[in-house]
Amino acid sequence: MQQSGLIGKTSVRDNIIISDNPRYPIFKELYIKQKKAIWFPEELNIQQDVLDYKALTPVEKEVFDMAVGYFSSSELLVGNVLVNGFFPLLIDPYAKMSFTTQMFVENIHSDFFESIMQSFAMDRDKLYRITQTDPLLYKKQDIIIREVDKLTYGKGDPYTVAGRKLILKSILLNNIVMEGIFFYSTFAHFFAMKDTGKMKNVVSGVELVLIDESLHLQNGIEAILILLDETPEIVQDEEFVQEIQTVIIDSASLEFEYLERMFGGKTIYGLTFRELKRYLQYITDRRMEELGFEPAFHVDENPLKFLQKEDFKKLTNFFEVSSTEYTNY
Amino acid sequence: MNRIVVKRDGAEEKFQTRKIVNAVFWLLEGLDVKDDYDLVYRIMKEVDLKVPERVTTEELDYLVLKAIEQLIPRNTIYDRLAARQLLKIITRKLDLRFKSFAEFIHFGVQEKILKKELLNFDLMVLEKAVDESRNDTLDYFGLSVLQDRYFCRDRNFELIEKPQWFFMRVAMGIADDETQAVKIYHKLSALEYLHSTPTLYNSGTTTSQYSSCYINVVEDDLLSIMDKVRETSLLAKYAGGVGTDVTRIRATGSRIHSLNAKSSGIIPFIKIFDSTVNAIQQGGRRRSSQVVYIQPWHVDIEAFLDLKETTGNAYLRTPSLNTALWMPDEMMRRIDKGEMLYFFDPAECSGLVEAHGEAFTKLYKEYIKQAEAGKLRLWKKMDGREFYKKYLFKLAKTGHPWLTFKDAHNRQNPCPAYSVINSSNLCTEISIPNSSQSTAVCTLASINLAKHVNAGKTDLDWEKLHDTIATAVKALDNIMDRNFYPSEESKKNTMDLRPMGLGVMGFAEALLDLGISYDSDRAVTLAGQIGEFMKNTAYSKSAQMAKERGAFPHYLEMQQQGKPYPYKPRRNAVLLAIAPTASISIIAGTTSTIDSYFSNIYARDTLSGKFIVVNKKLMAQLEAADQWSDEMYETIKTWNGSVQHIAELEGVIDRELYKSAYEIAPARQVDIAAAFQRSVDQAVSKSIYIDEDLRDKMEDIYLYAWNQGLKSTYYCFIDKTVKGEKYTTQVNKRGARRGFGSRSPVSAAAEPETGSVVETVAIENDVQALEAQARQQFGDAVVDKVLSGNMDSCPTDPLLAKICPSCE
Ligand SMILES: [Fe+2]
Ligand SMILES: [Fe+2]
Repeated sequence: MQQSGLIGKTSVRDNIIISDNPRYPIFKELYIKQKKAIWFPEELNIQQDVLDYKALTPVEKEVFDMAVGYFSSSELLVGNVLVNGFFPLLIDPYAKMSFTTQMFVENIHSDFFESIMQSFAMDRDKLYRITQTDPLLYKKQDIIIREVDKLTYGKGDPYTVAGRKLILKSILLNNIVMEGIFFYSTFAHFFAMKDTGKMKNVVSGVELVLIDESLHLQNGIEAILILLDETPEIVQDEEFVQEIQTVIIDSASLEFEYLERMFGGKTIYGLTFRELKRYLQYITDRRMEELGFEPAFHVDENPLKFLQKEDFKKLTNFFEVSSTEYTNY
Repeated sequence: MNRIVVKRDGAEEKFQTRKIVNAVFWLLEGLDVKDDYDLVYRIMKEVDLKVPERVTTEELDYLVLKAIEQLIPRNTIYDRLAARQLLKIITRKLDLRFKSFAEFIHFGVQEKILKKELLNFDLMVLEKAVDESRNDTLDYFGLSVLQDRYFCRDRNFELIEKPQWFFMRVAMGIADDETQAVKIYHKLSALEYLHSTPTLYNSGTTTSQYSSCYINVVEDDLLSIMDKVRETSLLAKYAGGVGTDVTRIRATGSRIHSLNAKSSGIIPFIKIFDSTVNAIQQGGRRRSSQVVYIQPWHVDIEAFLDLKETTGNAYLRTPSLNTALWMPDEMMRRIDKGEMLYFFDPAECSGLVEAHGEAFTKLYKEYIKQAEAGKLRLWKKMDGREFYKKYLFKLAKTGHPWLTFKDAHNRQNPCPAYSVINSSNLCTEISIPNSSQSTAVCTLASINLAKHVNAGKTDLDWEKLHDTIATAVKALDNIMDRNFYPSEESKKNTMDLRPMGLGVMGFAEALLDLGISYDSDRAVTLAGQIGEFMKNTAYSKSAQMAKERGAFPHYLEMQQQGKPYPYKPRRNAVLLAIAPTASISIIAGTTSTIDSYFSNIYARDTLSGKFIVVNKKLMAQLEAADQWSDEMYETIKTWNGSVQHIAELEGVIDRELYKSAYEIAPARQVDIAAAFQRSVDQAVSKSIYIDEDLRDKMEDIYLYAWNQGLKSTYYCFIDKTVKGEKYTTQVNKRGARRGFGSRSPVSAAAEPETGSVVETVAIENDVQALEAQARQQFGDAVVDKVLSGNMDSCPTDPLLAKICPSCE
């Protein structure tokens, strides 16, 4: 089997030299991008939204609370997966820098969601546990935890094809399914709030989380593509390839189920279940394509057009909304 | 899927697309639209996705609005349609409640929302002047912001105002009589000029607070500090922005004689202001804000530069405050020449606080001598360039402190005998003498230059501009006697000086109409001409008002004392100030202040939500040239709103005219501000936009601004290059690599799709093909009828049903 430059088991003495001609320049680029994007929750004025929060209708509040609750423990979960899961197996210096930066940024994110809960005196205990008490949210995390824990308990051997498959799957579940599908799904709920003039300072922070997560997603995609490239045996295994596709589609289905429960039959923040489902299909198709699969749903246009607001240069009315322009320095 | 609409009376009916189609066609009335069916069809596609299983009529109206809003960047017409739909939502309820304008005014007075003095007007005369056809002047963004925050609401928070009533109510709160009210109403409703936000909020209401800015001075003693905290909290409560000079407060380690102890410096006191303003910010329609100014020779300056850092000891940080430097020329000169800067304790070197120009330089040098001779207890020195670099680093990183120039402000002080100018205000455009006994107050208005281009678009309509300036000056002077002053000190300043600040917005839009590039010498020349014209017109109006109503009291006082000022009597000490116009330029639908277009497509974050702003002139020009399409929109989006690199546009438009803020040389931005500043008696608030590639040039840019005679700079925007993945544009991260696709593609076993989503996709993909097929099969007449959606029932033929907009 071909040697991998990305993963292996080495002494701590090894790989402590940075080459000016890195093996995977993309990770250098991603490290720099993540570094430039670093921000802190203190830069936002979350507290300003407290009256907004109190004025949310019960369904609006439910969507907000569930979103915050889901993120609060999931950010920590991403950190766990990185630390206990595949990070110890990374050997390339820039890949390590890129993934440690991601780990650091996950701290910022959980700090951010924690400060939201503190600012609005939300029921923290309940929300941190929401992914255990709510059956659907439980499934969304469990689908990831189940697989990754195989790595946690030392079953991923980077020198066998089977081990590499396990590693690949854990990156996929963490960086693509959780960050690139589940997180993206919930981002839309937050952006719809701002679009309807609610929770603007919180959402300004989520805009920054989105920038970070798009980079984490890229971390994952690059790692997977490299592993596939270095281990052609993986793609030869038709069953495994099918299994990966199924995992992605099953995950999307879990999310559909969740969306239907929250939004079915009503409009919240101007969003309906049908739009959200179609949006998630669009997102899932993009992930499939990025990995080299055919799209599953053939949705080529993002139906949530208000999200295009996230794509433009932003000019903030400084005296009205906390600015995030100065955070990425 | 069966969808149910719940009507206002509780009755339920089946959701019918046809009804919405008709309603949308109604919105199109009177508009000259080429392809109205296509426009409506696109709206319906969006609506279809948005309507859930059960919906109320009210929600439905709102969903239609959201659907249209999403299409705004696609065609200029959608903006108008969205504005009309929003207006429909606003007026529907209102019209059931009030039969007339007069009825609204009576209701407002009775509920103590409006001032009872409004009843002194002949309401019939005013009602006749109210012109509903003006509604089409407002664009969607402007109307959204108005209805969200500016229109009056009753005690149950229900809207009681619509656009034309709003403009008339504002006019009534300013005018002396019906004639003046109608005059102001016409100017406002045509968006020719607008008063500043507090005036628009409060004019004519029982909260008669018209002013945007207050500027106070803190003395170096505990009582004064606490007194100014109290004053600031009152000023901030009424949504004013407060500027506060803290230079006099003694430095860390300075001796406090009465206690025989050492002072803990300025930061803990500034922190009190931070907490106060944060407490008051909660829940206002507009966040109250404060800026603290300091002269950078204060020995605590380094801690001051760190106030807006977001990390470090929270007791030394002021997240709710803004900060600014009041920089003397002598320090800039030393920075320029790379000489040493010295920093002193104001308790020990108090003369520096009020000295300016030559006198400051002399005194500063004297203190340097004393310091080097070991005669001063508390001082520091640092290489000028080092300090400057450190400062600019903070400016780029935290956006603060802003840089304003003490001597440029004070050189043009019209009333030096009254007091020095101790600092500027929250937006850095104010320049009014003040002291701890006299808190400067300024009431602002801005002329929309875009509405003063002549019909042939060859020049400005100077006569109209003259008329608008005269109207605005008289209006602003009126306000001073109707205004509510939260403190005695603030009342005193206005009663002594009668200062006002008339500025501009829409300069860039006017340039575009005139075919002048913002980044050109012609733009600089025109800026100078406009400034001069404004000064001459405003001053002659003020001189005329002095004849009718008397010159400003301090002027007369000096005259009586036999020390007259060397200028002719006028009603107001100062008249012009160019404010950032952040909110009112949105209402007016134009470019803010004297800034260029920010970008051709960008998102704007406001208290009323996030809006996409498209350069409508560009869109219209490209539509006329048949070049505006979804693809072009995507292309411009990919370029982050720039058109400079889009080769297809070569020869179609003059791309030079459509440069965005970061594409205009910073020196040019400064030149334009300087050209205005030559005639503006107060200051020009100038934000500077710097492309990331020019980061290293910041030192030169700010030295240039100082050399060109700017009084003030404001925010420094540095183009942010880190971007996440574009959300709505597909990005191929995989490139040529095949990933899992190295195998032959396994068919993605997606769940079977049902419902209208798939149908919509099918229609979307094949609509033209289907339509052509249908035309062949059934003939044009039938197909057109189906397409128009005006059929009594939906077609039964499956092919026709596919193109019928009403079919589920
Ligand atoms: Fe995260
Ligand atoms: Fe992440």
